[in-house]
Amino acid sequence: MSRNIEVMAPAGGFDSLMAAVQGGANSVYFGVEQLNMRARATMNFTLEDIPEVARICKENNMRSYITLNTIVYDHDLSVIKTVVNAAKEAGITAIIAADQAVIAYARSVGMEVHISTQVNVTNIETVKFYALFADTIVLARELSLKQVKKITDTIREEQIKGPSGRLIEIEIFVHGALCMAVSGKCYLSLHSHNASANRGACIQNCRRPYKVIDLEGGNELEIDNEYIMSAQDLCTIDFIDEVLDSGVVVLKIEGRGKGPEYVKTVTQCYREAVDAWLAGTYTREKALQWKDKMEQVFNRGFWSGYYLGQELGAWNDSAGSKAKLRKIYLGKGNRYFSQLGVGEFLIETHSLKVGDTILITGPTTGVIETVVEELHTDQGSVEKAVKGNLCSIKLDSPIRKSDKLYKLVSASE
Amino acid sequence: MITVTLQRDKCIGCNYCTEYAPQRFVMSKKDGKAVLLQSRERKGFYTAKAQPDELDGCLRAANACPVKIIKVNS
Repeated sequence: MSRNIEVMAPAGGFDSLMAAVQGGANSVYFGVEQLNMRARATMNFTLEDIPEVARICKENNMRSYITLNTIVYDHDLSVIKTVVNAAKEAGITAIIAADQAVIAYARSVGMEVHISTQVNVTNIETVKFYALFADTIVLARELSLKQVKKITDTIREEQIKGPSGRLIEIEIFVHGALCMAVSGKCYLSLHSHNASANRGACIQNCRRPYKVIDLEGGNELEIDNEYIMSAQDLCTIDFIDEVLDSGVVVLKIEGRGKGPEYVKTVTQCYREAVDAWLAGTYTREKALQWKDKMEQVFNRGFWSGYYLGQELGAWNDSAGSKAKLRKIYLGKGNRYFSQLGVGEFLIETHSLKVGDTILITGPTTGVIETVVEELHTDQGSVEKAVKGNLCSIKLDSPIRKSDKLYKLVSASE
Repeated sequence: MITVTLQRDKCIGCNYCTEYAPQRFVMSKKDGKAVLLQSRERKGFYTAKAQPDELDGCLRAANACPVKIIKVNS
């Protein structure tokens, strides 16, 4: 079966963008300014960054998508035009949109449109409607794969095409955080903090533990799992064959708020899994290995989402990540001696020893993970470098002043 | 006099401040973020002096701001 399957990675910054390149992503999506679902995070590019992002993507043969998918007010209309115009001028592939104002404007200037999961497309008639404007449609995350397959089958049978004249491509989320509500329909954060999730300002009420108190007697009810609203993360790698059999073409990874090491690892795993499936070498054993690898980076525990249809929801039992490895910040890059193949770092906190696994991340460097085999300071070869030391480590690829150095330790340490 | 400060670059354009303190905040049609009227900018922070009768509205605006970038000193 020859099909182009697109693995789409999140880019919350230049470091994650480079990590997506290193992970072998076919495309990236990112936010610009405030009108996207991660407006609260500082994980967004500015208008001035768009040409550079487009350049990096073109150079690496990746498609690029700008998320412009919040609800939109009158005062936003001109920002939308500014962002869409800048995207078009820079050669960004498409705009991921939810509001009709965004869809209409992007189409009016001939910009490709993708329909965001925020629109909750759950049936073929809605696909037909949006096919008038968009070439790719992200389905609601709450559908089962059977329902997804029915939609992709009908697109082929009825030859439903987008403005480009190509058959509509169906995209689904394959990995990352899930919303406890139907995507785009949660108002908890708005009610508690005026912070609308649908303006990208979600304060994540669902990720907190809650108590149930009986108002008459004041008794607190014990709940086995305190995090009653915190959904585990979606992971589909152990049934990616079923995902691909459903006829989806684009696999999206959630995580614009997550670190570059997450982006690189998860992108790499899904790219390898898809390639294995295409080559007919995908096995459950391999899938478990990829899953193990992804458990090392940020996750809230994995479940299969709603795709397999039988489970109603898997809830988290702790705050934050269940990653098996934890990163500890040590310091920053100083310079790279290319003839020696050595990177020099300033240790600002904690210490670094021979044998430690290190992680280097940066806006140009992306992600480097390696084990320290030798360590040099001004004292010569040493076993350990401490706060204040400038230390040198053998590295095959260059590092820069903008890089951060971490050591990876077991999460229980 | 009271002092109102807005850390404008972090604004997500939710519109709440203009609902509570319309005499002091408007939404920019240019970039979709809040504008603190009659303010001076220093390192990304916009500051305005306002009359005491604006205190209530400005406090409501500060309290409603989902990204907490409005500060009011009376």
